[in-house]
Amino acid sequence: MTGYARARIRSLVIHAVLFAVLALWMIPQVYMLSIGLRAPAQAFDAALITWPVTFDNFITVIRDNPLARIFLNSMIVTVATVAIVVAASSLIAFACAVLRLKGSLVLYATLLTTLMVPLASLVLPLAILLKTFGWVNTYIGLILPYAALGVPFAMVVLKAFMEDSPAELFEAARVDGCNAWQIYWHVALPLVRPALVFVAIWQFIVTWNEFFLALIILTESEMKTLTIIPMQYSGLYMANPGALFAVLTLIALPLILLYVVVQRAFVRGLTAGAVKG
Amino acid sequence: MMTKSARRGLRFGKPALYLFALPATLLFVVFIAYPILWVAGQSLFTRTAEGQMVFAGFANYGAVLSDPAFWIVVRNMVIWGLITIPVQMVIGGLLAYFIERHTYRLRSFFRTMFFLPVVTSVSVISLVWVQIYAPYYGIAQEYLKLFGITMSFSPIGDPATAIYALILVNIWQWTGFSMLMYIAGIANLPSEVLDAARIDGARGFRLAYDVVVPMLAPATKSLLLLGIIGTLQTFPIVHLMTGGGPNRASEVFGTYIFKQSFVLGDTGSGATLSVIVLLVALVLSLVQIVFFGAQLSPAKRKPE
Repeated sequence: MTGYARARIRSLVIHAVLFAVLALWMIPQVYMLSIGLRAPAQAFDAALITWPVTFDNFITVIRDNPLARIFLNSMIVTVATVAIVVAASSLIAFACAVLRLKGSLVLYATLLTTLMVPLASLVLPLAILLKTFGWVNTYIGLILPYAALGVPFAMVVLKAFMEDSPAELFEAARVDGCNAWQIYWHVALPLVRPALVFVAIWQFIVTWNEFFLALIILTESEMKTLTIIPMQYSGLYMANPGALFAVLTLIALPLILLYVVVQRAFVRGLTAGAVKG
Repeated sequence: MMTKSARRGLRFGKPALYLFALPATLLFVVFIAYPILWVAGQSLFTRTAEGQMVFAGFANYGAVLSDPAFWIVVRNMVIWGLITIPVQMVIGGLLAYFIERHTYRLRSFFRTMFFLPVVTSVSVISLVWVQIYAPYYGIAQEYLKLFGITMSFSPIGDPATAIYALILVNIWQWTGFSMLMYIAGIANLPSEVLDAARIDGARGFRLAYDVVVPMLAPATKSLLLLGIIGTLQTFPIVHLMTGGGPNRASEVFGTYIFKQSFVLGDTGSGATLSVIVLLVALVLSLVQIVFFGAQLSPAKRKPE
């Protein structure tokens, strides 16, 4: 009994500490929402939470700005990028892991290196390239560079998962007369599904939140994605932080909700790899 | 046995192999390799007073390396990596350990809440933190007052504190990621080992330190690699919050390259910086591969 009581007290203490750390961690998000809910008179109060709250800011910014269009732009760019990254990276990962493409180590070093190159280095040549193709202010001009930047990480993850899959399955499929494409589609992809889900969710987060390339490539307001809006509005709503922070909340919210929905699958994809090991 | 046959692989004709590799390779060549080569070429040219680009050999490299600003940036990057990577690992690891081993019904809740800053756009985060740090109406100064510290200007506006104020934001944003990597690692720990250690009398701190920490080495290595990548990639948060200032106090490679090539229009110098960062990245990648092997996963992969 005393052992049980001790364990119970320890559990309570640990929960209390975790909640305290979480409260600290949540300050910026709570602050963002709180300023968004303030009337102009209280907007500059130096307090985390003020009372009463008003939804006026949210109504104003939704009414005055083409947020739906901007949201749609982000959605189109993100979904297309995720689709291309998942397809291209799983194909090349299959070639490396199952078909044993030569030169994997050189490839790996190259990928690691390019993952480390600051985006700022690539932006000028990319901008020139996209201008040559006539892709400035187009969805495709953003989607393809995003996909190219996303493939290396996705490929490394998927390749590791495929290498861990039992090779007998691939060989059995081969003996049964499957061609490479059939093995990829019917054997490899189902085997690494948790990893595909993980890669897709991560790519969604990264692409939706990308800011810098979008800023450079999208100059027409019609085409802008969500992440370049805050900077633009911070000048517009200088005197009314409530409106600005309402916009920030509206931008942050979709991805927070999405993550809450998919978090189980995301964590499963991250942990699934070595369950067999 | 399994791994051996996997290593041999299936044999199909060359064309199939290349078809599978084609889309990714094409994307890579056009949107990453070509820009890098373009940048490498530009680093050998310089712009004359008349706006003409002339071949300059390695003159740009000499100019960049002898510029004191470059070394300030190098120092900032070292500070950035040396603080953010271990702090995120330690806090993330502790959170993961307590969440995984001592919570049950609230496990998903904690996992999700601590991860939310990771999924929040940097363009949102930067404005929120600028407000937090603001003198007079921000909340940082309100809380610091409780400790007797008066803040008369924003910590991001003071050269002595700017980089640390940004590092704090970075830690806040990315610790959830470290936590999740360790959660994945802990979830994959074989429970027999933990039980055996507990029977041997290891518990609490000793169990965590002697048994769990060494077994989480794969997650730690992955986080180190991702941390180095993240450090060299640091850019939007600095660009949005301080622009590298005041007076280069928080300048990082990203903002420095951006300024040289976009703001000053000095493509030669911007390109030279890019090539130097690329070489640093190459060396760091090779060091990683030699010492830790090619790995990017939270748990040990191959059963030994």
